[in-house]
Amino acid sequence: MDAIRVAAPRMMAMVVLASCALVPIGVALIGSVASRWFWPALLPAEWTGRAWNYVASGSGGIGSALVTSSALALVVAALAVALAVPAARALALHTFRGKRVVLFALLLPMLAPPLAAAMGLHSVFLQAGLADSFLGVVLVHLIPAVPYATLVLTGTFSGFDPDWEAQARTLGARPWSVWTRITLPAIAPGLALAGILAFVVSWSQYVLTLLIGGGSVLTLPLLLVAFQRGGDEAVAAALSIVFVVPVILLFALTAPLFEDV
Amino acid sequence: MPMRRLIAVLLATIAVACGSGTSEWFPATDLSAMTWSEISGRARNTTVHYAMWTGDEARNRFYQGPAADTLRQDLAITLTIVPLADTSDLVNKLVTEKAAGLLRGSVDLVWINGANFRIAKRAGILWGPFVQALPNFQHFDPVATRFDFGTTTDGLEAPYEQAQFVFAYDSARIAAPPASFAELLDWIREHPGRFTYPAIPDFTGSSFTRHFLLHSGKAPPSAFTERFDPDLYARASKPVIELLHAMKPSLWRKGETFPATLAEMDRLFVNGEIDFTMNYSPTFASDKIARGEFPATVRTFVPKDGTISDYSFLAIPFNAPNPAGALAVINTFMSPSHAIARARAMGGLFPLRAAHLSTSERDDVAALPRGAATLPLTELAAHRIQDAHAEYVDRFEKDWRTGVLQR
Repeated sequence: MDAIRVAAPRMMAMVVLASCALVPIGVALIGSVASRWFWPALLPAEWTGRAWNYVASGSGGIGSALVTSSALALVVAALAVALAVPAARALALHTFRGKRVVLFALLLPMLAPPLAAAMGLHSVFLQAGLADSFLGVVLVHLIPAVPYATLVLTGTFSGFDPDWEAQARTLGARPWSVWTRITLPAIAPGLALAGILAFVVSWSQYVLTLLIGGGSVLTLPLLLVAFQRGGDEAVAAALSIVFVVPVILLFALTAPLFEDV
Repeated sequence: MPMRRLIAVLLATIAVACGSGTSEWFPATDLSAMTWSEISGRARNTTVHYAMWTGDEARNRFYQGPAADTLRQDLAITLTIVPLADTSDLVNKLVTEKAAGLLRGSVDLVWINGANFRIAKRAGILWGPFVQALPNFQHFDPVATRFDFGTTTDGLEAPYEQAQFVFAYDSARIAAPPASFAELLDWIREHPGRFTYPAIPDFTGSSFTRHFLLHSGKAPPSAFTERFDPDLYARASKPVIELLHAMKPSLWRKGETFPATLAEMDRLFVNGEIDFTMNYSPTFASDKIARGEFPATVRTFVPKDGTISDYSFLAIPFNAPNPAGALAVINTFMSPSHAIARARAMGGLFPLRAAHLSTSERDDVAALPRGAATLPLTELAAHRIQDAHAEYVDRFEKDWRTGVLQR
């Protein structure tokens, strides 16, 4: 009886959460195949494959944008996690002078818009030859991605006891085995979560990509925004789905990792 | 050794990928000493990076497909589209590049208009003048293309498409649209809440308001084109600002808010919240009906006093890596065959003068399909006025903000 009483509100919350996530995607799905969908009709008068035909036709460069976006987000996620691990470990396990200042500096891009930094960086990147290049866009995406990764991993490391590492060393483990057999398994879920967050942050960047990539580094959001502003709702809806599905897949595939978290 | 060879191969691949072809930057002042065949010779086997607004599916399909194919076959030029959601993004980038002294940019060619051109010209980020060097410029009216939204083009941009302001209404809701701007004003007063326009700085909203300045009756519309006359402006603008302010209570949401974009305005129109929308493309309503975005009963109209007509232009950034290629592409985009293919693929007006067209080209133009919602070319041409000088545009936008929006 008690179990049911607890389960019912929980179930309700789950349904509400799920519909918050699914309803907009459902509307976009209908919008992408809708033709002559006018108020007050609940459903479109006609259905059309025009938008999906355009997406599949290759004349919009959507396939290559998908490849660029994925490669970019993967590289950014890997680098952000690599940078965040030592930072998060120091922040979680050590107290040192100026820790608050370091923490503030690290989290600043989450508080202030990264665009402010990027505007100034643009001319520096131009002089360094990094503008309009993949590498330049990777670097500028790291500005918002690193703080998220660090924040997640700081939480992970605060539940990590470095004495386990000491114990392994006492038993004769070399630094590499300590890392692979003690540290890594302990922080793996945190690493995955930090990586996914960094991936999503990079995946959804528009302004930073545009500014530093200058249209040469062509990602999905650049194509999507053009259609949203242009008012072609069917193509914008279809592109939104192309944009959101990889992220959903990523979460679905990595969900088992977080079952114990 | 194998490592070194690998690096050499890699570098060679990158060099080929980046700089296929031989064309390079040269100053526009060299043009006077060059023949057209020299220029098109330099353009052969090069890549041209064309930055254009990519928010229109039909346009993207045409430029990625048939237009690029023709360039490859006829001129051995590879066209690469650099997509823009907003042309001002590229203008801002070029301004930064100029300040940073970047002499080799990434864009050879840009579709630019109006306010963006004005800013670009002032900032000195355009390559040229070059228009006189183009053989196909003979197809365009040199007087009508001297101005872009009231800014003199000075050969820094070449015309290639033509636009004209039109209104759209749904014939299922409204039997006969207003025949003149005066009748439109009456209609707005008699139907409170059923009309609005996009807020300035949206350029369509800006031109909508400017029609009342040009038709103020203080001077013929053509008097506003050539140069700025502060007396005329003061006389004409004050009553028009008052008129637009007095219109506010009759507008959608009592004029307390305006749609920010044309896309938002079209949504209000389709959802039946307002009875008119407006656009710079005379074929837009037919295009939207074909895409299922507008009901099939939508039609367009122009008030008999005349609406602003303007050209779309192509310009070359100051640091274009391949100006010869850009010139060759622009000249192609100004050709009769391209204009006919474009009108077939994506609608729009046919902007070339008939004088130099061949008989078969004239037949092709006459046979261009016209959507049910598009006005006949003759009717559009009969009700066409030129835009005001840029100084009028600037001042009037400012006065609209203080005298209408914020009051």
